Amino acid sequence: MEFLTIKDITYGYQGTSPVVDGVNLVIKKGEFHCLLGQSGCGKTTLLKLASGLLQPDKGSILLNGKGMTDPSYECGFVFQSPTLLEWKTVMDNVLLPVSLRRKLTEENREYATALLKMIGLSAYDNRYPTQLSGGQQSRVALARALIQKPSMLFLDEPFAALDAITREELQEDLLRICQLQNTTVLFITHDISEAVYLSDRVAVMDKGSIIYEEEVDLAKPRTMEMRYGSYFNDLCLTLRQTMSEGRS
Amino acid sequence: MKNIRFYSLLLFIFLLLLWEIAAGNMSELVLPAPSVIFHTLIDGLMTGYFTAHIIRTTLEIVLGLILGSLFGFIIGILMGESEFLRKLLSPYIIASQAVPKLALAPLFILWFGFDMTSKVIITALICFFPLLENTMSSIQYVDKQKLELFRMLKASRWQTLIHLKIPAGLPGILAGLRVAVVLAVVGAVVGEFIGGSEGLGALIIASQGMMDTPLMFASLILLTIIGMVLYQLVNIAEKRWSKPYMKETKK
Ligand SMILES: Nc1ncnc2c1ncn2[C@@H]1O[C@H](COP(=O)(O)OP(=O)(O)O)[C@@H](O)[C@H]1O
Ligand SMILES: [Mg+2]
Repeated sequence: MEFLTIKDITYGYQGTSPVVDGVNLVIKKGEFHCLLGQSGCGKTTLLKLASGLLQPDKGSILLNGKGMTDPSYECGFVFQSPTLLEWKTVMDNVLLPVSLRRKLTEENREYATALLKMIGLSAYDNRYPTQLSGGQQSRVALARALIQKPSMLFLDEPFAALDAITREELQEDLLRICQLQNTTVLFITHDISEAVYLSDRVAVMDKGSIIYEEEVDLAKPRTMEMRYGSYFNDLCLTLRQTMSEGRS
Repeated sequence: MKNIRFYSLLLFIFLLLLWEIAAGNMSELVLPAPSVIFHTLIDGLMTGYFTAHIIRTTLEIVLGLILGSLFGFIIGILMGESEFLRKLLSPYIIASQAVPKLALAPLFILWFGFDMTSKVIITALICFFPLLENTMSSIQYVDKQKLELFRMLKASRWQTLIHLKIPAGLPGILAGLRVAVVLAVVGAVVGEFIGGSEGLGALIIASQGMMDTPLMFASLILLTIIGMVLYQLVNIAEKRWSKPYMKETKK
């Protein structure tokens, strides 16, 4: 069943030539979709269009059959930079999406505590964002996106600032949570092996268009060994070649 | 660097001594010695001579500061939020910035009389502008990413103002308040210079008439103390409210 449908959208920032040019993308319910591409190819712009932050010049976006003209409560979003509020504690930052909607309940706090535990920042709940490292801040931003148990997640290179080990741990946690809640994910990255490891489907974007799409035929849950299998590495190589060919 | 406070104090004592010696060779009318001023000050405080004046001036400063800052803050918010208001009012704001506000003091005394009202209004008027400008620009130039975050969370305009723009702009707004505090003292004193029978500014004018220079200095010291206390209060507020940001700027 299709959950997010992007139909032939085109978008250009005021006066510029299209940054996103005739993109079609269909993501099924519960699917983990990765979008690969070199920097500047329009990934962030596409994500903002898909989440309703920007309106396409042409084309349409449907979320669960309904037209997206505005951001939705059903969606969680992690921006490319953590974008935390410096004057709120880590805990309050995670709870922000809820506290803007209604009075916080004990259940909200418990879930926030659980999320902080998952991202390994239990001891930091009363710290301020400026007292955290860049990677820790990205993790808080992820927890904030998950607090409302969104049915659709938009993630813009959320793990770019993390070291390899933390990144792998968080990849596991993210996959587990998404599987548990049957979350549909559109995940942007420029890291090829991250894309292959995480996704059910990968797409490669170049100069505003999607130039390649492929099903990832690996069993779930993913295991460490898969990263070193031949299928995994062949797919990485194919993607790598597609990305550099697209450039030329 | 820990000793720097001690050296500051040492310098202060040295300057006082220098002054004491210099004053010994001069008429008390021109330059009274620190010891004489101190005596006048303590004497005035003990007998309660200064009490009414201190209360009066402090009241004018504080009321003017609250009134002016509050209006400046509110109008700053309105102008920061509404492009229409900003475009409509900014020519007037710029024009009124060019008017030397203290030069209006005689006019206000004419309009509002010699009592406290006129001084409070003068003080409020000069406190108004720094708050207005700082508030307006602080809430206008909030990080675009954070604004996008709030749009993503479907925050209303009011929520965005309360939960994002004002806290994000707080350091700038408090910087405006700091300027306003200093100006408030000037405003109240100038108001009292021009027309007043009570207050430390009026006392300075009176001491000039009575050729009582030590009294003049004593009043000046009291005014300085009032100013410093208020300034320190703003500093405390700043430390308290913008603690998380300070860490960032210090890095
Ligand atoms: N706010 C903006 N205004 C104008 N041009 C922009 C803006 N944001 C991005 N662009 C341009 O759009 C292109 C794609 O940017 P972006 O979507 O951020 O790429 P990516 O996320 O793939 O690195 C870039 O050439 C960039 O210069
Ligand atoms: Mg980007």
